[in-house]
Amino acid sequence: MSEPEVYLEKLSAFSRMLRLEGLSVSPKETADAAQLLITLGLDDREQVKTALRTVFAKSREEQLRFDRVFDGFFISEEKMRQQAKEQMERERELEQHRREAEEELQLNGKPMDLSDEQRETYAAMPEEARQRLRNFMDKYRGTAERNPKLYGDFIHSVFTRAILEQQMLMENAGVGAEELDPELGLMYRDISEFKDTEIPKAIDMIQAVARQINGELSAKRKNRGRSGKLDFRKTIRKGLETGGSFYRLRYRKKRSRRKQLVLLCDVSGSMVQFSEFALRFIQSLNQVSESSRVFLFSETMTEADAFQLQNMDLFRTFVKDSGIYGRGTDLGTALEQLCGKRPPVLNGATTLLILSDTKTIDQPRAVAVMQEAKRQAGRVIWLNPIPESKWHYIRSVQTMASICPMVSCSTLRELAAACRKLAQI
Amino acid sequence: MNLEQLKRKMDEAHYIYDDTLATVLAVALQLGRPLLIEGAAGVGKTEIAKVMASALDRDLVRLQCYEGLDESKALYEWNYQKQLLSIQVNMNAQDKDALTKSLFSDEYLLERPLLQSIRAEKPVVLLIDEIDKADEEFEAFLLELLSEMQVSIPEAGTIRAKTIPFVVLTSNRARPLSEALRRRCAYLYIEYPDMEKELAILRAKLPHVDDRLCAQVALAVQKLRSNEAILKKPSIAETLDWAAALDALGIRELTPDALRQTAGFLLKNNEDLNALTMDEEEEHHCGHCEGHHHV
Repeated sequence: MSEPEVYLEKLSAFSRMLRLEGLSVSPKETADAAQLLITLGLDDREQVKTALRTVFAKSREEQLRFDRVFDGFFISEEKMRQQAKEQMERERELEQHRREAEEELQLNGKPMDLSDEQRETYAAMPEEARQRLRNFMDKYRGTAERNPKLYGDFIHSVFTRAILEQQMLMENAGVGAEELDPELGLMYRDISEFKDTEIPKAIDMIQAVARQINGELSAKRKNRGRSGKLDFRKTIRKGLETGGSFYRLRYRKKRSRRKQLVLLCDVSGSMVQFSEFALRFIQSLNQVSESSRVFLFSETMTEADAFQLQNMDLFRTFVKDSGIYGRGTDLGTALEQLCGKRPPVLNGATTLLILSDTKTIDQPRAVAVMQEAKRQAGRVIWLNPIPESKWHYIRSVQTMASICPMVSCSTLRELAAACRKLAQI
Repeated sequence: MNLEQLKRKMDEAHYIYDDTLATVLAVALQLGRPLLIEGAAGVGKTEIAKVMASALDRDLVRLQCYEGLDESKALYEWNYQKQLLSIQVNMNAQDKDALTKSLFSDEYLLERPLLQSIRAEKPVVLLIDEIDKADEEFEAFLLELLSEMQVSIPEAGTIRAKTIPFVVLTSNRARPLSEALRRRCAYLYIEYPDMEKELAILRAKLPHVDDRLCAQVALAVQKLRSNEAILKKPSIAETLDWAAALDALGIRELTPDALRQTAGFLLKNNEDLNALTMDEEEEHHCGHCEGHHHV
């Protein structure tokens, strides 16, 4: 890399690649980068990388994306050979898996009716899972002779389901997000899959994101102080002190409308962690926390105050002490108790926020009481920790989603997006 | 100024830097672009502007941003009171037009940091600190200044920069900044320094403090920062304060007792202090290294 001019034309290709990665690169930036390359030369790779990053990347996230593109674009010959070799090996391995899968995915002597994507997912499945499916096929092979169609349909449905589950697992894993940045990876992973050691980091991130949302909201608050309407009365009165000259103008302040939020959180078994995260998020939003009430439920319902939600230990102790921990879920009873509270908790000005995975006993009753709650509250929103891709397979989710708006909150990122919207209602 | 000259100047200012930082600063200087610095609180973002002022031998003009900051505090304001007095004094003057014109002259113009920085005779370093605290409207207003190096005052017209300041903007990422602002700046993200850099800073800023103590302090701070239970990570300034406090107390060895007594210089809230105590207790009972100190 001795003659910088030779590489300048490559810069425009590099800029295009950056754009494909989602960075907004203007011609001016490319020109700046060219100027830098001419001045700095190309002898020191790290220096060139830093200089171009300064020009092209405008946030930390963009810096990470820039690094990836740069490392892929400006690579040394030795590294290029090594990468090509690795890629060939990977492809050979994948091809072998594909061939094996092709042989295994035979039904009644014909290839199974699966899409290419499904075949690839099958090839990526761990060996034990594939062995289980093969055993399953062998077990019912006797039926094939008696009724080939029945056997074919049955095996096909079992395979399709297993492949679908594998696809979901792959989607939930965040597809490469974690490789990019461990912190960002945590934002994209299913909350229920957090390890204990990751929880403090997740809480840290919740606080950072909540701070950011609060910052955005306070910046958007309009018509405050001087930007309100002129207050004639006060201006004239104040003007009297300076001989009738309006020395300083006085403005009216806009009255802020208080929001009333009622949270109904499912804390049965697996829902505790999600509820804790979601509550922490919602409570840290200045705009929302002012006048919110929190109810926790499993088989019965109980009210929690702000003190008990301060930190995770207090929250968990409270949940355990109140006797609702580790029980089943009865949304119907909880909603009935909430709607029957005197003085009424729900009214036209309140937004009822339900944090639950919709799994409950006695669903018909839950649906009926849900209608009543919807009538009493001004607005009902459901935060669901189940990823949206799985909603189609769960009947209770479909039923509840037809009654009130439902938002998927399976990851911290989705939860943050939901809270951001919530704070702006 | 090229990279080598800049490095020499920063060495003269006793500033500890790495190659990345030096390159970014040189690039921003060469392109004449404002530099946007992001990073956690206390990693030394503001310090960079001060060092650049000293390295370039320029004055530092600082604008501290806050919610509600507007043009009258950042750019200019007419001296309303003085104008009012002038009107009352010259109430009987014959030439009313001349009086009106004079009311919007330099005499009545109060220069605020932004105007001051572009009207200075010698180029300055302009520090716009914590831009994320200002409102979005203010950000939009900055665009004209940052890209064209000029500002428009309705009564006085467009004022072009006499000299071009080196602009440094800092942000703690309390809210995302607009794309338009980011596009006009060179970008730098600063993380907490590693052990080696932190030790070098301690040695440079506190040359009188025992080298062994400095190393212990740097190690302890690194460990505290990697402790996930601690929410507000200690900043570089706090590390320096802590080392100075230990030195002032005549402590030559960082023992658990010394750490407990002076932890208030490092950790500034009760939860973090409790987390530190719990950590110590756990390590005290670990059994493997009884009698040894480790933070």
